[in-house]
Amino acid sequence: MAQIIIQGLLLSGLYALIAMGFTLIFSVGRVLNLAYGSYLMIGGYVYFYLTQLLGVPKIVGILMATVAGCVVGLLIYRLLVKQLKGDHVAIEISTLILAVVLQAGIVLLFGDSSKILLPIVPGVIHVGGATVTFSILAATIISWVILIGIYIFIRKTHTGRAMQAVSMDAKGAAISGIDSDRINMITWGISGTLGAVAGVFFASYTQLSPSMWVAPLIIAIAVVIVGGIGSIIGTLVVAHIIGFMEILTTAILAPEMRGVFTMLLIIGVLVIRPRGLFGREEL
Amino acid sequence: MDLRWHHFALWAAFIGGMLALPQFVSSGTLRTIIFANYLAIFAISWDILSGRTGYISFGHPFLIGIGAYTTAILTKRFDIAVEYAIPSAVLMTMVGGLILFLPALRIKGSYFALVTLAFMELIYQLVQVIRPDLTGGTRGMSGIPTLTLGARDGFYLSFSLMAAIALSMWLLMRTRLGTALSAIGMNEESVRGSGLSTTRLKLFAFLTGAFVAGLGGAFYVHYLGSIAPRALFDINFLFTILVAALIGGLSTVIGPMLGAFFLTFLLEYLRPYLPGAERYFIYGGIALLLYMYEPKGILHLFSRGLDRWRERVSS
Amino acid sequence: MNHPLEITNLVKKFGGLTATDNLSFVVEKGKSVGLIGPNGAGKTTIFAQVMGEHRQTSGSIKVYGKEITKLSTSARVRHGVSRTYQIPRPFGNMNILENIRVGLMPDNIWQMITGNPDLDREEELALSVGFTPGDLMKTPSELSMGDLRKLEMARTMATDPSIMLLDEVFAGLTVSEIVQIADLIQKMRKDGMTFLIVSHDLKALEPMVDSAIAINYGAMIAHGTLDEVLANEDVRASYLGGTG
Ligand SMILES: Nc1ncnc2c1ncn2[C@@H]1O[C@H](COP(=O)(O)OP(=O)(O)OP(=O)(O)O)[C@@H](O)[C@H]1O
Ligand SMILES: [Mg+2]
Repeated sequence: MAQIIIQGLLLSGLYALIAMGFTLIFSVGRVLNLAYGSYLMIGGYVYFYLTQLLGVPKIVGILMATVAGCVVGLLIYRLLVKQLKGDHVAIEISTLILAVVLQAGIVLLFGDSSKILLPIVPGVIHVGGATVTFSILAATIISWVILIGIYIFIRKTHTGRAMQAVSMDAKGAAISGIDSDRINMITWGISGTLGAVAGVFFASYTQLSPSMWVAPLIIAIAVVIVGGIGSIIGTLVVAHIIGFMEILTTAILAPEMRGVFTMLLIIGVLVIRPRGLFGREEL
Repeated sequence: MDLRWHHFALWAAFIGGMLALPQFVSSGTLRTIIFANYLAIFAISWDILSGRTGYISFGHPFLIGIGAYTTAILTKRFDIAVEYAIPSAVLMTMVGGLILFLPALRIKGSYFALVTLAFMELIYQLVQVIRPDLTGGTRGMSGIPTLTLGARDGFYLSFSLMAAIALSMWLLMRTRLGTALSAIGMNEESVRGSGLSTTRLKLFAFLTGAFVAGLGGAFYVHYLGSIAPRALFDINFLFTILVAALIGGLSTVIGPMLGAFFLTFLLEYLRPYLPGAERYFIYGGIALLLYMYEPKGILHLFSRGLDRWRERVSS
Repeated sequence: MNHPLEITNLVKKFGGLTATDNLSFVVEKGKSVGLIGPNGAGKTTIFAQVMGEHRQTSGSIKVYGKEITKLSTSARVRHGVSRTYQIPRPFGNMNILENIRVGLMPDNIWQMITGNPDLDREEELALSVGFTPGDLMKTPSELSMGDLRKLEMARTMATDPSIMLLDEVFAGLTVSEIVQIADLIQKMRKDGMTFLIVSHDLKALEPMVDSAIAINYGAMIAHGTLDEVLANEDVRASYLGGTG
């Protein structure tokens, strides 16, 4: 029992971090970025390359991973999303294609096989019968620090409040003088950064592989769909629901079934209460 | 219906030319074309379901997989003859089409696309854990009876199937039905406002799309002789189908067919230089550029080029 | 007496906002009624309820005596009500004839497949709303606002309606386009068509209608001839004060 609670908390913290970057983009630009999982992949691989192949200190590795994520995020916004202005389905299709392209790019550079990341912080601790690695513990703590940081950023800073304004009412925000293009840029940059950090931790939790982007993308989608638009608290709650359900299915049913609940949740919520997700219909 | 003799002449030339092909090309090339044929079938079925109605499905492998698994299980585990197994598989796939249709009653756009993606991931996970004695679990199945021996026969079978599907869908979509389905993709409310039941039209599109997908999936698995969940319910597979339809040209039958052939040969051409999955890098890159700058597809590029050429000739 | 359109105690609430407030009126056969009111008064919402695009909170809508509130949008159209939109909604990748074709189709998949499009009727409808033969192959992106409104009229007429609801028919048009649309409506009135017309352009609306209904905050504040309605104190106040 204690084990399930501890593992659930750890996993959920990570999931919340994974979903955060995706939620931000969705709430500010109403865009589903299906290349979001690629940020995690890129973050993980950049970190791997620098620390394990070049022997750079880990902290530098993480920093460079976030820089890479940020740059990729900005590029996707500039070169792709902005060009397809407003056509949501086209953005989804092209970001999905891009995700596959980036995956192939990783195969080209690093090969097909999966890689194991060395623990970010070596060592384990035993709590109530559960074995917790320092790595995942650190990941969860850092996730929470980042989440709280983002929360404060959005509530308290000028840019954060502008993001909120754009998210609630893009037209209204534009009228009151907010440059929504700039806000979108910033959001895509932050999203890429968050995704890349999450990727380092996610890869150390599972492993590094060219197809590692799919699972976190689906988690992020589930959290956004179920948690509602732009709600940071909603993101946290749903991340915990999904995290705990996965741990529970793994423990009680079978590890292969861990994602089934997540899928059913996505399908169920989208089909049963799409109204809440649509917003106002145009007349 | 606006059918001209030159349409049929073109079809006849295409079919005749293709049927004569085995006389001229190696069996390696034939195997490539076999794959192109199946990809064309999948892309055509995706286009009927999604390309026209605008209900973009990211879960097409869900349908193909139902067809492939049903006939694989029936023939391999229950020794049922393919004559019965394939029709049953097609029927099951149509049931799958019905399942995809239910969310389409309430949601569209991004949300529909996501639900279908979730369906694909769901069936991927379920297939591995529910009755692995039947599905073969994570490893899948091999030793499924094949219908043809050798590349030549495989080519004839796959091409006949593809040509029959393409021609009949082409005819069907040239009727007012095709116009109505495309209209849904452009503005569903206006179709309703024109007095047409979009529910019924969408149901028809989903069932027809599923019918074609099931047929393709079933024959494909009897060509391969094996099936594996990761290869089937996979975003890369979905990507290949989607890209074939997109770059060929949506809301047409020829477009997806053209896209499938174009892409298969592109991949084949790249094989000596990039033998592994990295081919998708170039393949996807081309697709992305084409999609962003010519969203109507290569068919449109062709016909525009043809128009210009005609103008130049006539002037 | 069965009227083409009979609305009784219609109420529509969007959360706390009452967009249609216990509204009742009839449109008599062969008559043309103007529906006026300031921005946000609830005019479009009434159309949307008649067409079944929005479900009313309560109340009844009858077409020739038959309750239609339980029918789907397409069934209502086949029942003889049809509308145009404030912002035209054409089929973007189809030419004018194909757009009209969708309106002419029978709602039966088998007939759609087996029957041929009635090209003559398509052309006749297109010409009747004022397109020239040279326009017929144009797609909506090549059309002006006035042309788009004509196209909507043509597609709506193709469904063979017995009453047409026109939303802001004159908005965004040039003076000559207004004249064209007005002529078209007048011609159809002579042929016996029944209309319910929303317009902000009261001057253009005036000759088009036999009577008028003014609403504000979803409730009827006056009815009678357009002159009477416009002379009404409440109506003047509602226009002057905007929605406030
Ligand atoms: N789907 C909806 N959800 C919530 N409120 C709505 C919805 N549609 C309309 N409203 C509100 O209902 C009221 C009536 O809107 P409606 O569009 O019917 O007005 P209108 O008279 O057509 O105005 P206009 O002249 O600007 O076209 C408005 O306050 C509007 O904001
Ligand atoms: Mg209105």
